[in-house]
Amino acid sequence: MKQMETAIEVKDLTKKYGNFVAVDHINFTINKGEIFSLLGPNGAGKTTTIGMLSTIKRPTEGDAYILGYSIVKQKYYVRKIIGVSPQDLTADDELSGYENVLIMAKLFGYKGKEAEDRSEWALKFMDLWDSAFRRVREYSGGMRRRLEIAMSIVHNPSVIFLDEPTVGLDVQSRRHIWELVRELKKNGTTVLLTTHYMEEAEALSDRVAIIDHGKIIAIGTPDELKAKIKGDRIYILVKENDQLNEIINKINDIIPNSAIKIDNQILVKTESSSELLPQLIKILSGYDVVELKVVKPNLEEVFLELTGRELREEEGGFDRFKYMRVTRGARR
Amino acid sequence: MIQEVYTLTIRELKKWLSRRGTFVVSLITPLFWLGLFGKSLNFAQMFAPTNIPPQYSSLISKYVDQQLLNLFGTTSYFTYLASGMLVVFGFFQSVFGGTNLVFEKRLGYLNRLLMTPTPRSGIFLSKVFGTLIRILFYETVLILIAWGLGIKFKPGLTVVNILLAGIAIIFVAIGFVSIFAAIAFNVDNVEIMFAIVNLINLPLMFASSALFPLKQMPSWLQEVAKFNPITYAADIVRYNLVGTPISNYLLSWIILIVISITLFVIGMLVSINAMEKA
Repeated sequence: MKQMETAIEVKDLTKKYGNFVAVDHINFTINKGEIFSLLGPNGAGKTTTIGMLSTIKRPTEGDAYILGYSIVKQKYYVRKIIGVSPQDLTADDELSGYENVLIMAKLFGYKGKEAEDRSEWALKFMDLWDSAFRRVREYSGGMRRRLEIAMSIVHNPSVIFLDEPTVGLDVQSRRHIWELVRELKKNGTTVLLTTHYMEEAEALSDRVAIIDHGKIIAIGTPDELKAKIKGDRIYILVKENDQLNEIINKINDIIPNSAIKIDNQILVKTESSSELLPQLIKILSGYDVVELKVVKPNLEEVFLELTGRELREEEGGFDRFKYMRVTRGARR
Repeated sequence: MIQEVYTLTIRELKKWLSRRGTFVVSLITPLFWLGLFGKSLNFAQMFAPTNIPPQYSSLISKYVDQQLLNLFGTTSYFTYLASGMLVVFGFFQSVFGGTNLVFEKRLGYLNRLLMTPTPRSGIFLSKVFGTLIRILFYETVLILIAWGLGIKFKPGLTVVNILLAGIAIIFVAIGFVSIFAAIAFNVDNVEIMFAIVNLINLPLMFASSALFPLKQMPSWLQEVAKFNPITYAADIVRYNLVGTPISNYLLSWIILIVISITLFVIGMLVSINAMEKA
């Protein structure tokens, strides 16, 4: 097997704001050509990490090396080889997509025809060439996201940081961006992605680091991480919340310590759902069950297992249904 | 460095040109000042003799004109105000040129720039240049409007006079766009930024010779006005365009340039520092 070369090496990277520790001594290494995800809820420290790696936030402690250049001591060299697509939509909406990309090309030192060619390449790569000369104001959410990435890849960076590249997008636009990110990888670009969508981390990443409260709590390939949970999860939602404890006690009588209450739902951990389900149904027959759901291991469950919290709790609490409404409302 | 500054300055100007609304709105305020305030505060008319026997009437007119001439250096207050407004308008535009950085910060555009190898000084300079070019354009329009409304230029006005007036305004603008950019780099909240702008704007405008002559002011205000670059620029502009005498022309230039360059240097250092720290 080919020897893996290191693209990014993060050593004890820490950022404190007064007493608040936003990023707490994180360590990880990203290989060249890899897609690496930082997965965690909002406020976990993902954007702060990207800010430090892209040289605009000074680490309180620690350092990181991008292709060997220190983000503290060699900022200028780092800036030349990275492309950053921030979480904010930064393109000028009064200008066209082409003008926005061209500005970036020129800021990276390309002149005249070369700058124009680079811009054309970036826009074509992101499937935006057809609308390149329209004002950004007229772009859809998905197009704006793709434009942000086009602006970040115009100088052909070796390493690209994508901070929540699909936040608030519909499934189709999200898939489109995923495809393009995979294309970037094929070109040999190293991608560091942050997301709080576990599907995204799972679909794209070679490796994932789960981050929470500024700390990396697990790191590995999606399969390695999923192997951390054994068996399935069963979620039970009943109409009367005051019956929850009663049900939990009954389930725990069959399999000790398998059921817990999370917000207004019951979570049952089991080695095998097919064996437990008949018994569960017997127990639940006396109650008004709204939903019974069996979940196979996924990164969401890994996060829950490691932290005791939902990945998305900032957005919609534990209420999955509310969460779906929220995201649907954002799809436009 | 040159390419980056050029690229970002062009970006500023493109954004400005694509917002046709702002362009018109920006001109409305000085137009109101000139049209309403300048034209209605017609002192000669206020003291025009009526119902007085003609033999006294011309005497009174002469007296009023003499007083106005003493006070404003011209018999037309409109001419006095219009020449001062040219400076005030340049000042206001420079303040807003610096202030709009707060929005670019909020939108995340500044962060995007900071993640590129663009020199930090280039980011600052493009802000200054973009603002100055806008101001030059507006001033040209404004001077034409003032001319249409009847400003009395001095006899024998030359292109050199107009250029010198323009340069004086540019120096005021350089100083203030730098300072306000520096403030904007250090303030994240839009409301706080505008509170600061209001706090500084109006006092600076009134504590200058732009709207009224210094000798009409209480002595303490005169002292304040002596540190205000707007005063010197207004005097220089008036000297060149209207022909109002000035006590020491060369000294006015020196003071204006020194204050301006000082503000520019301070502004640039503070801005770069703010970009580097984070």
